Amino acid sequence: MSTAAATPTAIDPARAHGVAEPASSAFPFAAAGEAPATAAAAADELTVSERVLALDKEIRATPRSLCAERAVLLTRYFRDETPWSEPGDDSSTMVVKKAGAMGYLLRNKRVCIYPRELLVGNFTSHRVAGGIFPELHGLAMMEDLFRFPSRSLNPLAVTEEERRQLLREVLPFWISRVPAAKALPLRAQLRLGAEQLEPNFYLINEIGGISHFVPDYQGLVTRGTDGYRDEAAALQQHTEPGSPAFKFHEAIRIVCEALDHFAQRYKEEALASARICADPARKAELLEIAEVCASVPRRPARTFREALQSILFAHIALNIESLDNSVSPGRLDQVLGPFYERDLAAGILDRNGAFELLGCFALKLCELVPAFSRRGTRFHGGMFNGQVLVVGGTDRNGDDATNEVTYLFLELMDRLRTRQPNYSARLHRGSPAAYRLRAASALARGAVSPALYNDEVIVPLLESRGMTKEDARDYANVGCVEPVAAGKSFLSTDAALFNLPICLELALNRGRRLGKWRRIGAATAPVEQCRSMDEFLESFRAQVEAGVGRLLVDIAAIERANARWNPTPVTSMLVQGCIANARDASAGGAIYNGGGLQGVGVVEVGDSLAAIDYVVFKQRKATLAEIVAACRVGFRGHEALRARLRNAPKYGNDDPLPDGYVGRAMEIFHDCFAGKLNTRGGEYTAGFFSVTSHVAFGKKVSALPSGRMAGEPFSSGISATNGMDRLGPTALLRSAAALPLHRAHNGVNFNLQLAPWIVAGDDGARTLLDLIEGGFDAGCMQMQVNVYDTALLIEARDNPGRYPGLLVRVSGYSAYFDDLSPEMKEEMIQRTQHDGASCRS
Amino acid sequence: MKDGLVFDVQRFSVHDGPGIRTTIFFKGCPLRCPWCQNPEALRPHAELAFYADRCHGTGDCEAACPRHALQRGTERIVRERCDACGLCVPACPFGALQKVGRSVSLDALFDEAARDRNFYESSGGGVTLSGGEPTAQMEFAAALARKCHDAGISVGMQTCGAFRWESFAPCLPLLDFIHFDLKIMNSEAHRAIIGADNQTILANARHLFDAASTVLFRMAVVPGYTDTLENLRDVASFLHERDVRTIHLLAYHPMGESKLPRLGFPISPLFSAETSGGSRSIDGARDFFRSAGLEVTS
Ligand code: SF4
Ligand code: SF4
Repeated sequence: MSTAAATPTAIDPARAHGVAEPASSAFPFAAAGEAPATAAAAADELTVSERVLALDKEIRATPRSLCAERAVLLTRYFRDETPWSEPGDDSSTMVVKKAGAMGYLLRNKRVCIYPRELLVGNFTSHRVAGGIFPELHGLAMMEDLFRFPSRSLNPLAVTEEERRQLLREVLPFWISRVPAAKALPLRAQLRLGAEQLEPNFYLINEIGGISHFVPDYQGLVTRGTDGYRDEAAALQQHTEPGSPAFKFHEAIRIVCEALDHFAQRYKEEALASARICADPARKAELLEIAEVCASVPRRPARTFREALQSILFAHIALNIESLDNSVSPGRLDQVLGPFYERDLAAGILDRNGAFELLGCFALKLCELVPAFSRRGTRFHGGMFNGQVLVVGGTDRNGDDATNEVTYLFLELMDRLRTRQPNYSARLHRGSPAAYRLRAASALARGAVSPALYNDEVIVPLLESRGMTKEDARDYANVGCVEPVAAGKSFLSTDAALFNLPICLELALNRGRRLGKWRRIGAATAPVEQCRSMDEFLESFRAQVEAGVGRLLVDIAAIERANARWNPTPVTSMLVQGCIANARDASAGGAIYNGGGLQGVGVVEVGDSLAAIDYVVFKQRKATLAEIVAACRVGFRGHEALRARLRNAPKYGNDDPLPDGYVGRAMEIFHDCFAGKLNTRGGEYTAGFFSVTSHVAFGKKVSALPSGRMAGEPFSSGISATNGMDRLGPTALLRSAAALPLHRAHNGVNFNLQLAPWIVAGDDGARTLLDLIEGGFDAGCMQMQVNVYDTALLIEARDNPGRYPGLLVRVSGYSAYFDDLSPEMKEEMIQRTQHDGASCRS
Repeated sequence: MKDGLVFDVQRFSVHDGPGIRTTIFFKGCPLRCPWCQNPEALRPHAELAFYADRCHGTGDCEAACPRHALQRGTERIVRERCDACGLCVPACPFGALQKVGRSVSLDALFDEAARDRNFYESSGGGVTLSGGEPTAQMEFAAALARKCHDAGISVGMQTCGAFRWESFAPCLPLLDFIHFDLKIMNSEAHRAIIGADNQTILANARHLFDAASTVLFRMAVVPGYTDTLENLRDVASFLHERDVRTIHLLAYHPMGESKLPRLGFPISPLFSAETSGGSRSIDGARDFFRSAGLEVTS
């Protein structure tokens, strides 16, 4: 078991695809009676090539570091080439300057081709590293500059030279120029800055830049930068030189040049390397690389390989331009499928060749790590960059879109278990049986990928927020779990994380933290006066409304600052609508705009409300005031009351009482901002996923009526509180399906952990698929399945380094277990492991 | 319809028939196998269980009991006085007192059984009536089977075979499968160990062959009881008699042990005996049946 999880082992060919077809049934999700794709039949011939294995080994073995290059180059550009800010500047000036800066970065950053690579392009100057964004959140991060190499969690190497550059060049330049909060008055800046370092109520991720989108890679590979350049040039014909629109299109042209030049540099590097290469085979490969880089991204891709290379160059540029987080490649099986077919027909590619290239691509995404400070790590633990890659689903017409590349990706995620990309698989009623079963068998074998998404729930949800049916069907998710219309959306899907249980704490104590005198929330009624659940819910609602109200004011300021100071021309080129609207993505140029606000701890709130209702109003065994008194002292001396509260019905057991309260909490959060527009002209939407903030926020909150002790984690997303889902996975899934998911436009994360023996073998994969299909048919939206024995996690916790490849699904993404904080490790160990033995009423 | 008495409803059962199932455990059994894994299944009435490890000795329960059936100490329940009314259960903050066996109406139980329909449909699963002994509440069990059947939910039954054929027969067409547990074939040994005659049981087994229903014969391999060479031979020849090809073996785990004191059963001698030979024993039985030409599943 342990070795299977730790290393990508050879696959049992019989299990790869050829698992028995499911029995036909009336079940809508299983209705597709199609023959298995031809890919399925040939899967056993696929091998993870020596090259890919070697690259994987190298990348895993490389210590992760911090890369100062981006920060230094950006500083030099704005110090030596173009002043950062001059009187009379506005956002349209800034977009040109930012385009110039991108040009400078791509012209001057280190270009490097590593041994054995087929796809080239380095994100940073080191093999595996994270960049620094001094104009965004980078200064706050630098508080840890001396601690990065030695910290126990996610250490990052920093060279002496780079540290010196950061301290001497970067820090002094930016300290007076950080724009993030410039839109606020100084006092508010100071307050917000202090709050965001130790957030209690909410964490505004958008302070660190936006990103969080699915670039239009489909457009890139079909048009090339030539296409964008031409479009921008044509539009310029109709605009006044010097006008904002003209300048914006100028910026697009500049970044097109910059990208082309970037590729040229790799062409030259490849040719130079080829000249001195003694190995004829490698020499030929280098010459091929040069040929590919001579053509893309400038021209439309002609081959599968060119398409991947074109995407990779753009992907690097996007990750350098703004926050290097959650730039999500999206539906690459759809983008690549036609190239694959064409190359196969032309005889210039075979399945193993394509498989190898996909492996090279996936490993490239692993060369990027986020450089978070310790504080940032608490909320976004696990070194993930949120590069979601989606397979399966339907096309724009609603027909099944599974293709050969879909299957190649499924094989890849099972056999080459990497931290990134963050793989997702879409399921709809017409998804082929072979596809579903291959996804389930990967999960049953402990691959922890793909995360599963239910088209039948998500497509209507996206339509309900104003997307066209076709665009909704073409969704991909961003970062962790957030569904967006691919290539057309700029939704800032992780704009902020909001701590809901703290509002419950405030509702218990008239707007004060328990044990504190100062009122920081709404002045709600003392609990002694609450005579019904409705009255108490009203207090809770008032607290959430007050907190969200503050959040909305702060976030609007951040949005304006981003539009003014951090326009993103490369992003804008690759989000449909921006060029046509002559407006940057950060200023609302995209076809679809929005801001995603996450309600964290919604299950904790629901469980607490249910416990109050049950113990106070139904059983009449305690008063609300007694519960508050017990929470205030962390239940010391109130063990019996705590036990009673813990024994009250809990979410995750198919029980309408707690499930209903979780739903109420979701509705309350959603209603606080439903219909409100952000400064980019899109609606704020609610998400219920937590990254690792359920642990970080949990630390801030007192004991609560659910029986949870002070400081304990909340549940992750809409997962049940650890250990509280006692009736087995079907009851758990039904609880999740019963929630008002139509309020969760920005997505949810839901964890299911199964014991390996329950899903062992071919029958096991089938059982898992039965569970998944049943859950989706009941109305679940998202699901991520961890299959491992908790005992293994305990062993890995106690022996760090012994299981370096142990991949776990955290909440909407995968991470190496060793990369998690001690608290997060503990949270994962506490999760309920469904083993089929504990499903008793 | 009189209410049924069940002691458990287990969802996501993947070993009680095909697919994902909900297994309904009826309370009450006419047999007394000393190796019973579900001692709470035996008595045909509700009981009060006491989880001594959860009790903090707060005494809340004592005040709640109208029959003064609760006392201090590790025994806590004075069984002669307790009528399992359940009033003390919510009084205990720690959940140390639990009622085993609840009366439930047909409609309510059907609603519960139908909750996982999505999963039955996706997996080809359904509801399994088990126990205890479902046929000991034949009328209710048949009505539930009928309701499920009419709603398109597959129903199977696990039985020890100790029922009256005439009352069982109408239920037969409603069942997609029957798991029939064979124990000890020798009548005297059966009577001595289990405390009941096995003639009816074996007659029912023969009836089921003749009714050509989908019957899977199962046997718990209990060291020293069912795994004797004589018994294995008898089982094999009984199955051969009707040309049955398959037997399903259940490994014996002494899991009933921890449940006994909760319900005031004395610990049975079987549980204190050396029972670690379980897996060896099932291997031996498997080999025997295979060599006797039967297909063995487990
Ligand atoms: S109420 Fe519960 S904890 Fe208190 S004495 Fe009775 S059984 Fe024990
Ligand atoms: S079940 Fe009823 S009679 Fe028995 S101990 Fe509890 S309250 Fe007393």
